[in-house]
Amino acid sequence: MVKLICPLCSSTVEIPDDALDGELFEHDACGAQVEVYVEEGKKKLRLAEGISEDWGE
Amino acid sequence: MARISVFVDVQREEERLLIDAARRLGHELEVINVMHSVNWIDSRPPGEELGVSFVRCISQSRALAVASYLHYSGVPTVNNPEVLWKAGDKLITLTLLSKRGIRVPETAVAYSRTDAIRAAERLGYPVVIKPIHGSWGRYVMKAHDPDSLDDILDLKETVANPTFKIHLIQRYIEKPGRDIRAFYLWGEVPVAIYRVSESWKTNTARGARAVPAKLDNEVVEVAVKAGDFIGGGVLGIDLMEDREGEVYVSEVNGIIEFRNTVRVTNYDLPAEMIERSIKELRR
Repeated sequence: MVKLICPLCSSTVEIPDDALDGELFEHDACGAQVEVYVEEGKKKLRLAEGISEDWGE
Repeated sequence: MARISVFVDVQREEERLLIDAARRLGHELEVINVMHSVNWIDSRPPGEELGVSFVRCISQSRALAVASYLHYSGVPTVNNPEVLWKAGDKLITLTLLSKRGIRVPETAVAYSRTDAIRAAERLGYPVVIKPIHGSWGRYVMKAHDPDSLDDILDLKETVANPTFKIHLIQRYIEKPGRDIRAFYLWGEVPVAIYRVSESWKTNTARGARAVPAKLDNEVVEVAVKAGDFIGGGVLGIDLMEDREGEVYVSEVNGIIEFRNTVRVTNYDLPAEMIERSIKELRR
């Protein structure tokens, strides 16, 4: 498992080693839908697009 | 000690900080996930046990619905629905502030593609096109010439959301690589940050860097007036400086995100939000 930082709640998310670029996960701790993406060879997380256009400030 | 409730849908770091602060301050706390609850609209009040209620839904639509239910049922609510409504609509915010003498970017509202293009010609390129409802800088676009404006309007006019066919066209303001987020708490601005970015969009949600800001009294005064005119409560006032040093209010946020501000300033914003709101709403 890879430990990454949730872009929503900043706590740790465990993502399977074989997670694919663009794969979606639900973060149990905060409920966020997160998307794995790869930047400079490293896996990172961002909020999944298209959850809702009225999210956030 | 007071009784407080926090209404959430998903929990960001901000909600965690707010809940931690409430516990640390010794308040009696209830956290309600609106995704797993029902509000019955009938003669029974939601209950005095809610105390001062903080609406912290990430969805602006859900936040407005929850705040409306609570406020019109007599529950003291942060923020109240009228404030959320005004802050959640850029057209209303800019109109209200402009009419009260606050400097805002020169803005036209056009209801058709043809008039949007005419407005842009009058403002001069580049122009910024914004939706009336929007968050995290999404759908905020810059057109450098009539061709790019045409493409943007094409896109906007084919989106199903009908509010996308109402076009806010703004004069582009050249910022000095940053803008200002001033946090307004019940008539005061106790803390502010610069949002520094090489991009013309300076939302921290888009990667802008938060840097502590010590604001001039004149800027604080503008932010306080803007917050007052929107209706008070707990607000994030976004201000831009142009190259000549003139300050504009660009928008007001009704449900603030503050994790980066807490991190770089060490100011206990969640605790202050709670304590000042309780003081105001229990009067």
